[in-house]
Amino acid sequence: MNESKIDINHIAKLARLKLDEQQAEKFARQITDILGMVDKLPEIEGTASGLDPENPMRLRPDVVVPSATTREEILSNAPQVEAGCVVVPRIVE
Amino acid sequence: MKKDYEVIIGLEVHAELNTKSKIFCTCKNAFGGEVNANCCPVCTGMPGSLPVLNEQVVYSCIRMGQALGCTIHNVCKQDRKNYFYPDLPKAYQISQFDVPLCENGSLEVILDDEGHTKRIGVTRIHIEEDAGKLIHDDNFSGSLVDFNRCGVPLIEIVSEPDMRSSAEAKAYLETIKSILQYLDISDCKMQEGSIRCDVNVSVRPAGQKEFGTRVEMKNVNSFSAAVRAIDYEAARQIELLEDGGHVVQETRKWNDAIGENMVLRSKEDAQDYRYFPEPDLLTIVVPQEKVDELRAMQPELPNERCKRYLFENKLPRFDANLLVENRDRGDLFDATVALGAPSKAAANWLNGDVARLLAERGVTLAETRLTAAGLAEMIAAIEKKTISNTAGKTVIEEIMFTDRTVEQVIAEKGLAQVSDAGALRGVVEEVLANNEKAVGEYKAGKTNVLGFLVGQCMRATKGKGNPELLRGLLEELLG
Amino acid sequence: MLYQKSATELSAMMAKGEISAVELTQSVLDRIGETDDKVGAYLTVCSESALAQAADIDARRAKGETLSPMAGIPVSIKDNICTKGVLTTCASKMLYNFKPPYSATVIERLEAAGAVMPGKLNLDEFAMGSSCENSAFRITHNPHDLTRVPGGSSGGSAAAVASGEAVMALGSDTGGSIRQPASCCGIVGLKPTYGSVSRYGLVAFASSLDQIGPMTRTVADCALLYNTICGHDPRDATSAYREYPDFTRCMGKGVKGLRIGVPKEYFGLGVTEEVQKAVLDAVDALVREGATVKEISLPSTDTALAAYYIISSAEASSNLARFDGVKYGYRAKETDGLIDLYERSRSEGFGDEVKRRIMLGTFMLSSGFFDAYYKRGKLLQQRIGAEFAEAFEGCDLIATPTSPCTAFKIGENVGDPLKMYAADICTVTVNIASLPAISIPCGTGADGMPIGLQLIGPRFSEASLFNAAAHYESLVGGFNKIPAIG
Repeated sequence: MNESKIDINHIAKLARLKLDEQQAEKFARQITDILGMVDKLPEIEGTASGLDPENPMRLRPDVVVPSATTREEILSNAPQVEAGCVVVPRIVE
Repeated sequence: MKKDYEVIIGLEVHAELNTKSKIFCTCKNAFGGEVNANCCPVCTGMPGSLPVLNEQVVYSCIRMGQALGCTIHNVCKQDRKNYFYPDLPKAYQISQFDVPLCENGSLEVILDDEGHTKRIGVTRIHIEEDAGKLIHDDNFSGSLVDFNRCGVPLIEIVSEPDMRSSAEAKAYLETIKSILQYLDISDCKMQEGSIRCDVNVSVRPAGQKEFGTRVEMKNVNSFSAAVRAIDYEAARQIELLEDGGHVVQETRKWNDAIGENMVLRSKEDAQDYRYFPEPDLLTIVVPQEKVDELRAMQPELPNERCKRYLFENKLPRFDANLLVENRDRGDLFDATVALGAPSKAAANWLNGDVARLLAERGVTLAETRLTAAGLAEMIAAIEKKTISNTAGKTVIEEIMFTDRTVEQVIAEKGLAQVSDAGALRGVVEEVLANNEKAVGEYKAGKTNVLGFLVGQCMRATKGKGNPELLRGLLEELLG
Repeated sequence: MLYQKSATELSAMMAKGEISAVELTQSVLDRIGETDDKVGAYLTVCSESALAQAADIDARRAKGETLSPMAGIPVSIKDNICTKGVLTTCASKMLYNFKPPYSATVIERLEAAGAVMPGKLNLDEFAMGSSCENSAFRITHNPHDLTRVPGGSSGGSAAAVASGEAVMALGSDTGGSIRQPASCCGIVGLKPTYGSVSRYGLVAFASSLDQIGPMTRTVADCALLYNTICGHDPRDATSAYREYPDFTRCMGKGVKGLRIGVPKEYFGLGVTEEVQKAVLDAVDALVREGATVKEISLPSTDTALAAYYIISSAEASSNLARFDGVKYGYRAKETDGLIDLYERSRSEGFGDEVKRRIMLGTFMLSSGFFDAYYKRGKLLQQRIGAEFAEAFEGCDLIATPTSPCTAFKIGENVGDPLKMYAADICTVTVNIASLPAISIPCGTGADGMPIGLQLIGPRFSEASLFNAAAHYESLVGGFNKIPAIG
């Protein structure tokens, strides 16, 4: 068991989650427990190329079918909309 | 003491493909338009929506890979690149990570007028989706997100760090662009952002083996900006080293308006993209027959064509470049030369009067009636002195924009040259009588007025006199 | 009462004109009104639109139109399946107000067949859980004992079907989320072969494992609903290209000569003795009907849970990244800049189990850990798949328990993720290997709670699963029994 290998605050930052100290401690402990289940697995040989040519994907023909969904529908769930666009806090580049 | 430095440049070119539909949905692949009006649940990342890969994207990428001599991985996959940004609605970009469609190619670029070339390695070419656009407008307190560009298909062409100057980088970029155009897989409209590039620059003291620390530059939006950005960054790094400092590995953003770059993010906050295989897509398998079929479609590439014009047709680089720039023009040149026309004459007509007339009328070559046979016939008529070069200018316009043949134009407009010495002698005598001043100068040894007198004779014959015959007669009578 | 009958019976009655779709829908809506305060299965009830759909079916039938056997049958939907214009919350505060602009392919198929949708059903938030206790909105209770969980994550679907609040329901299954609650609530649940049912419109948890499937009170109903939802979908690149038989005609063929494998590894793993006995008794019953049984071994079974948590959490961490407070759903108030908006919207919008899995998956994919976790998970997956393939050379079906124990008490396992995860120990292998499996009731425990038998088949062997399951159903005199609520 290797408690130190989870930098929970770094992981939370990558995942765009905010944790208070208590939560960070709790999640770190729970995730370490779950990882323990993985860490005790036997080492396994082999390659996982992620390729499965036996089960190839059919590609889509390059044909335009205009969306059945209107802009109003696409934007209807957005918390803030202006000028036909979703609004986010100002990004200074 | 100032050392000599070598600049090392690698480029990542993103080119939008000109497919009809987007990469993962059936929305139109179009530039601009009303904001968020060319979107669907898939390209806006609605919960539950799924990507379906457009075959043409795969084929276009393979064609580029073949043009650059890459190994084609016809069994490959797509991966997710995870990061949060408002223009990326799924919070991951579907790209390719460890198995790109194309790998290990190279590109020969022509560096100078003598036709010296350099081979630049191409590490890989992969397919991925474009992101949306952020609009910053002072009328709004926030930034606005337009998803129209989400899902526009891109290929990313990654070079080896093989370039040693901004000029080489520019030549590489221009060659990449012309190949994309020859293959007709990208519109290459810089102003619409359909080709963009990221630039990697490092420097090292001359003679050093190891590469220096590399800096990546984003936001380079044109080829000329690439030159400025590289020169700026190389100078910045050299100055740092000369001052006893060291280059920091980081990503910088080029600001072309002020001609400087600034830090975007340091190595420490380099993003961890957490690539993993895209589970919504299965393995891409392109049958070998399809790969072969795509290879058979490959035209002669512009860099090869340019070399041929330089070395086989013996054209100056300027002419060769103009012919290569436009594939139709080059094709017409080849066909005209094949019919026996001299290369230089064919190039001059196509790059000169033909190009001028097209520009004046705002049409393309394909929209005119000009054929290789017509052009060759006209050039032959000039060669045989049936018509003068000046008359040729009239002929070319007629055969481009009317249905008349070269022969008809010459006949109808009475452009045939007069080569009867008897008929021309009278004209010459008259011109000499009317230009006493010039005659005096000639006799005083100013023999270059002869050209002027030939011109006067041509004018008197309404351009039909055979200029060589006229020159002979003038010399004889003045002698 | 009409709501107590099976869809197969109701379909025949409507076809004969004995009842109307409106009467049936009203019966189900009345039942919801009567018992859902206690059961807590529904998140949204669509009374008006359901009655309108039913009236439309009745009108079409009156005009003499030939209708599908599904016409007028109420089918309730797990709330992680997109229904255009109808709240689809995934039982998460993050999507508390989300009304999808489009419908899932399975919804379009149900609508085309004339099915009626009474409402949307509770689940563990984003389908992560085994008890339905992770819902942000309400606790669902087991109709057999209201102090117990209905299982999960499709707990609302199971409880609704078991209590008569739904004639049929759709669930989704990533690691057992259809079968385990079906087992806990004493109903039939099918996790179809990966790729046989379109995932388009299913809010993704783990894309390579998720599959939508039917949850019903009888095997024939399960086949009927599966008929309607299976089939290739060009909008889902992982959807299989193949023709499917009429599964309602694949039953009644007997089990003579059927070779049943019993993997010894599934009878350890903390499976209670009463569950082991009930499952083996059920196998014996089939053997008495002419099936043969042999003990088999699937040696990597004890690694499956780890492989499952690696793959599912990794994919989930990416799939759930799109919930960021920008395009839909919950947005935190008065935030300071983009990053703060992201972090606070996600932290306030997601519950603990979801956050735990997002961080687990993020960690496993992060730089330096990919090989140790994700790659290892995929290698284990290959090995588990290979072991099943080998096992199916010697048998037609594999029989195991569905859940290692009967439904536990509400609150019993809260706060102990590993104990909660153990509920999936018998079911995750099936998702890992892309196989189909059906859970059917096979008796009750000492606590009176249902026990489930899981039958696993090779890819695309649903017809054979239905046949064996229906045969067992007939041996025990039918499954369709609705308990008294309360």
